[in-house]
Amino acid sequence: MAHIKVIRRSMRPEEWTDLRFGWLKRHIYSFKWEIENLMIRDARQVSEMKFEYYSEDYRPLNKGDMYFTPDGTAFIKADVTLPEQLKGKELWFSLKTAAEICVKVNGRYIGGVDPNRERMLLSPYINENEVLHFEMMGYNRSKPDDERNPESLSVRGCRQVFEGAYICTVNHEVQDLVWDFELLLDIAKSELFNEDYRAFLNRELCNAMNLIDFDSEELTGVAEAKKYVDEVIYGNDNYKGSGDVALISHSHLDIAYYWRRIHSVQKNLRTVLIQLRLMDKYPDFRYTHTQPYVYETLEKYYPEVFEELKEKVAAGQFEPVGAMYVEPDCNVPSAESLIRQCLYGQQTYKRMFGKTVNNAWLPDVFGNSWILPQILKKSGVDYFVSNKMSTWNDTNRFPHNNFRWRGIDGSEVLACVPPTHFITWNMPSQIQENWEAYIDKDRGGQTLNMFGYGDGGSGCTEEMIELMHRFDKLSIMPKCQHMRGDEFLEKNLKNNDSLETWDGELYLEMHRGTFTTKSVLKRYNRRLEFKFRTAEMLSLMKKDGNADTIRDLYKRFLVNQFHDIIPGSHIHPVYEDALADYAEIEKALDSIIGKGTKYFNTLNIKRDALTFVPNKKGTSTRYGEKGNWLIPHMAPLSSAALRSARYSAEWISVDDTVQTPYYTLKFREDGSIESLWDKELCREWVKGDFNKLKIYTDNPGNYDAWDILPNYKDKQIALKVKTPLHLVEKDGECATFEAVLATEKSQWTMLIRLFRRSRGIEVENIVDWQEKHKLAKAQFSCNVLTRKALCDTSAGYIERETHRNTTWQQARFECCHHKWCDLSEAGGGIAIINDGKYGASFEENTIGLSLLRATIRPDVTSDMGMHSFSYMIVPHENDAVTAGINKLALEYNVPLIKADCEWTLPTFEPLYLQAAKLSEDGTMTVVRLSEQDGKRGRIALGRKVRLLNMLEEVTGETDVIEYSPFEIVTIGI
Amino acid sequence: MTVQSYVENILQPKLQGDGGWVEYAGLEGEKLTLIFRGECSKCLILHRCTDWIEQQIKLDLKKTVKVQAIRKKPYFQDV
Repeated sequence: MAHIKVIRRSMRPEEWTDLRFGWLKRHIYSFKWEIENLMIRDARQVSEMKFEYYSEDYRPLNKGDMYFTPDGTAFIKADVTLPEQLKGKELWFSLKTAAEICVKVNGRYIGGVDPNRERMLLSPYINENEVLHFEMMGYNRSKPDDERNPESLSVRGCRQVFEGAYICTVNHEVQDLVWDFELLLDIAKSELFNEDYRAFLNRELCNAMNLIDFDSEELTGVAEAKKYVDEVIYGNDNYKGSGDVALISHSHLDIAYYWRRIHSVQKNLRTVLIQLRLMDKYPDFRYTHTQPYVYETLEKYYPEVFEELKEKVAAGQFEPVGAMYVEPDCNVPSAESLIRQCLYGQQTYKRMFGKTVNNAWLPDVFGNSWILPQILKKSGVDYFVSNKMSTWNDTNRFPHNNFRWRGIDGSEVLACVPPTHFITWNMPSQIQENWEAYIDKDRGGQTLNMFGYGDGGSGCTEEMIELMHRFDKLSIMPKCQHMRGDEFLEKNLKNNDSLETWDGELYLEMHRGTFTTKSVLKRYNRRLEFKFRTAEMLSLMKKDGNADTIRDLYKRFLVNQFHDIIPGSHIHPVYEDALADYAEIEKALDSIIGKGTKYFNTLNIKRDALTFVPNKKGTSTRYGEKGNWLIPHMAPLSSAALRSARYSAEWISVDDTVQTPYYTLKFREDGSIESLWDKELCREWVKGDFNKLKIYTDNPGNYDAWDILPNYKDKQIALKVKTPLHLVEKDGECATFEAVLATEKSQWTMLIRLFRRSRGIEVENIVDWQEKHKLAKAQFSCNVLTRKALCDTSAGYIERETHRNTTWQQARFECCHHKWCDLSEAGGGIAIINDGKYGASFEENTIGLSLLRATIRPDVTSDMGMHSFSYMIVPHENDAVTAGINKLALEYNVPLIKADCEWTLPTFEPLYLQAAKLSEDGTMTVVRLSEQDGKRGRIALGRKVRLLNMLEEVTGETDVIEYSPFEIVTIGI
Repeated sequence: MTVQSYVENILQPKLQGDGGWVEYAGLEGEKLTLIFRGECSKCLILHRCTDWIEQQIKLDLKKTVKVQAIRKKPYFQDV
């Protein structure tokens, strides 16, 4: 018999309850008095505290008027004399808005309203007999904080209708009952709770509503309904829930995303202000707030609010968390950048609050490098919190929530990857979902559940706290305990021997495109990371007193490593801000580096790789600049005058094949290599497409800038050869071949360089990129049998499997690497060294180096325009470590500079001299050394030095550095 | 300043600041055709913004225009 679906046209009892719940909410305010003399002045924020005003003066603002403009800030004011009827009552200010508004009364910041809350308490902060001078500053944006909050969606847009501002009194009897209903209806509607209990709730909530007479002029029966809820619903403990959940209040604040960095100053102010006021009202309320950088902006621009914050920190209510200066991307930044995030972050907290924190709080970052545990541990951080792997992985369920995370060098931190999202609004269903998703129920103690609106700040609301105060009344709920972040970590992870261990990177099975999106930022990042190293080292040697300047520049640089800036997941103005910052930082660093008469090798390795040295009279060209390729033969950290040797004999022949001292090559006209015969090693290196540019359609959907789909190879775009490969330049060291390829819209010039005295084959790319939804990769199918690829992490290498046996390998179809990656078998292999690329794929014998993307959300024109970048193909004997690929990659990325200075300390070989700087307290030279080859050893120094942690605190003394694989050692001299 | 220049240099940065995007497509008589992308392309209250654009052009350029908005939604939001 066919089943006929019955469409019910009459109202179900649950719908009748919902309807009346809406009516009940209309009675929350017992009295509303409209402020009718408001004045508004439109402006646009142009820097952290500067505004460009659209008019000379204020204009009246009345209910029904349009207010706010695209990217606009509005200043609203009114002088209010309270009517007698309001005096002596508990007064609130109410303004329903899509904007984020900070409210000042008589010179004091007293609260904020935004899409997540429409009212704030006035009474404790005003003198009702004074004229109240209201000053409001509102920033409107088309993307409300939380698309998860459906109410905020309905008021989305640049131009808003002003719905009036009021001084009001609240009917607490109604408000309390509204919160009861919010709580209970959430359970009633959630399939996560017991079916019979939900039936009970639906029945009894309807019965409670029946006690209210909505038809009477004055709402009656509210007290009776409340009593009924207390006795019948809260009084029922027949239904037992299970679980043990720690509730941590937090607000995620993206420093830049759908807004510019300058806006985060006021977003942070609003968030902090709101949390401070909640603390005033609820003494048991605790709140965690990350990112020392935003504390700095508050201290600088809103010192009076910062003083209040300090009081709440001292009282234990406001909890600074997260040792890092900002919440950085944890894939692309180098080890030294991550160390500086900790150093400057902890330094800031110490200065402000007299203590550092022992946790890293990175809820939203897109995966975490394997080098992090060591960096955290040596920066005073024992605990690590990061949410995404549990909630966003697209293939595998990350197998732990509370666990021990072991890093590349064997260092361990205690880690928490909470089971659910970092933005929740403390609803029972969200807490229940967290408990059900929690894997480590038997060994991990409590599960961590963060609550509070976020992305653009905002945080906890009055409702979230009120709901929390009711959880204990419900036997169906898991046991819930509100606490600070550090309390949770100490209570559940410290000395917990039951925790399991994850040994490896915390790869996020999503957002794989962020290794590549906004290519220009990535290349800048790489160049500046090394330029900081050079400038700091030279400043130290020259004793030029620039340490403070470098620290300030570094901090600005670190802000741009925020997890929606360097990954490329932001609107266009954020990109322009980052470019402007980078340009200014580079100019300042160049000025510190200065000029000299001799070349200086800033690397603590002998420079014997063929290197391009700019020279206007040079006979070769690279990146449009004339110069010469030469082998510097420079000792570590030494100076020399360099002269290019003239070599006039013929060293290359170009025919059907190209013959160099190292190779016989057969090119295709598009620049790809059909055959690469190694004369020295007597072997062929090519097996398939090699140095082949491939452009794929790349349509990941809504998370356009973030994601690459696993099937991106399904559709490839044909490239036309506009100019077939031909020789364009040749001198005694280098021969350059050029091929010009094109799509319908873009032009791709590939300059391939072969060398007389180097095994490397360099490919410079000059691209006019005008694509949409495309991913460009260079493919290298190598004649190598291996099941693993080696990838540089900037502080050692990570091995990645190249097969697709299980879902774990399948999910890692795109990975992050730093300066180089390599496929090798026992006798040799191919390394690809780059000067600013981070994304790559490894499958069987093939490396796919990701070069460019073309996404349209959040930035419509992302990556469009001119690009130039290079990579070097290095066929080599032995494995990558024995072949010295890391050393070669350092030489490739660190240019020789001209500087007249002298290095007087040891060279610390074979460790990599990662940084040399004046200590933060100015009393010693800090040298940071990194073991990058996976080897153990010792360096006798011949003198006593101090052993330091990464915060530059003395941990011991030694005259011998004993190092272990991938260890980062910091010493003070 | 021409209307095109005004759209590209004065209005565009402001809309970009909200994740939006506007492009000048043409001016015929008083009909100003603008292409909206990004967040603007799916904005439920774009008409309020185009009204504002008309007001701004009137105020700053002393020209009367009527905006014809063309929404170019990204493929993944074109439902």
